Amino acid sequence: MLNFFSDPQWIIPNIIAPFVFTAVGLIFFRNASGSLALYAVLGGGMMGMWGNTLYGAGFALAFDRWNGTLEYVLGTPSRLVWIVAGRSASSAVLGLVNAIAILVVALVGFNAQLGIVDPFGFLLALVLTLASLSALGVLFCSSFLLTRSAQVMTNGLEMPIYVASGSMFPIALLPFWSHPLSLSLAPTWGIDAMRHAASAAYTGMGFGFWLDLGVVFASTIVYLAVGFWLFIVVERKARQDASLGEY
Amino acid sequence: MALRLQERYGFRIFISSAAFAFKALFSWLSPQMWLTQVFMLPLFEMAFFVYLAKFVEPSTANIAYIAVGNAMQTASFSSIFAVANLTSEEKWQGTLIPLIATPANRFPLFLGRATFQILNGIATIAVGFIYATYIYGVDMSNANFLALSLVIVITSLAMTGFGLMLGSVGLFMRTAMIIANVFLFVGNLLCGVNFPITLLPFWLQPVSYVIPMTYGTSAARAAVLGSNILQLTPILMQEVVTGLASIVVGYLLFIGFEKLAVRRGTLEEY
Repeated sequence: MLNFFSDPQWIIPNIIAPFVFTAVGLIFFRNASGSLALYAVLGGGMMGMWGNTLYGAGFALAFDRWNGTLEYVLGTPSRLVWIVAGRSASSAVLGLVNAIAILVVALVGFNAQLGIVDPFGFLLALVLTLASLSALGVLFCSSFLLTRSAQVMTNGLEMPIYVASGSMFPIALLPFWSHPLSLSLAPTWGIDAMRHAASAAYTGMGFGFWLDLGVVFASTIVYLAVGFWLFIVVERKARQDASLGEY
Repeated sequence: MALRLQERYGFRIFISSAAFAFKALFSWLSPQMWLTQVFMLPLFEMAFFVYLAKFVEPSTANIAYIAVGNAMQTASFSSIFAVANLTSEEKWQGTLIPLIATPANRFPLFLGRATFQILNGIATIAVGFIYATYIYGVDMSNANFLALSLVIVITSLAMTGFGLMLGSVGLFMRTAMIIANVFLFVGNLLCGVNFPITLLPFWLQPVSYVIPMTYGTSAARAAVLGSNILQLTPILMQEVVTGLASIVVGYLLFIGFEKLAVRRGTLEEY
């Protein structure tokens, strides 16, 4: 967090794609109303959170590698996964700010309509989705330790999640073979839960608000468990090979 | 005599700079990762907007409009993002000051650095058109492939010129990454990639006309519908002019910022 405030301009790369895509979405939806417009506004918010969390996770170690401090970080007695988890959590908090900023721009700048019927449920779904995105960031970050191409991978992972999670359109439109991948992503369920909480008329995937939330929670636990395990394996490999600076 | 000598040295600087940039890129980026980038980025960006269109307005014409627009826009990853970051990368590697200290002409030096990205942009657009045709069903039966190829080459060149201009601005900033990211994505909104620019607010439309991609997307759609090179000449000329203007403005900015930084001794301290 302190690192971010030392050079806050870095929030722009994290948020620009969600801002632009939301604006394009709102122009597409210009004649739509009700639950259709929900897709653009809430999808933009979710993308804002994912953009920041992914970049936070992707660059959590890349900056250390560039600055020559990665070996020192790894040399401390603390487990690397806790260090990354802390950085990822702070990115998630900033991601929430991004999401709110996108929602405000959509509501004020584009006069988008967003009447939330269940504010408590919406807040709960938002926080859980944010936690799940953060856990997904930790999961991906473990592989970033073994590569110098973390920046490229980060750029490459942004769009697939926007598409696969159906951030702005129903996943039913995607090819059938891709549905298992979509359903394995917590954000898919999180955005569905948020839409349920925002509109009483929304039917979405048809599993209902509470089941959506349950899957988001369970997925977050699974992501964290796998992420922690991967970090232990990757950290051990990096120490054994003594090749951290060479990737 | 002096002019010929300068031309010869300029060409040599251009070639060595291009070769150096190619080697430098693949010293940190594996070829597999590069190929993944070329094949994956157009696929998902196009998918996002095509599925969004399928949800909102699922007509075949609309989907073809968006698929072709996004195929062209994928060039921004190389011609905008990578090229705009050239000066910043020199800063990060600590090589900007030694580079500036050389008597080499800046123009062929940085043009050479960007050369691989022109080819990269062409390759990425070509991959984008393969996806547009075989995944999203864009009808290419009437397409004039010679005209389309010319549009792709000119767009990649012109957008690289635009990227170089952004890179010159990056010389003045701590990093060009910010401005590179902004222009990487803003084309989706401003350049007629996903919808006609007439849908933009009136005050925003002039910005669209200074970005070469705006002409590139229009020309590509016309070529897909069968327009020949002669019919596309006016719009391609406009694209060439914006690309060349970007290069000239970028070069002047670079020289100006360089002088300012050298005078203040702040080349890496912005």
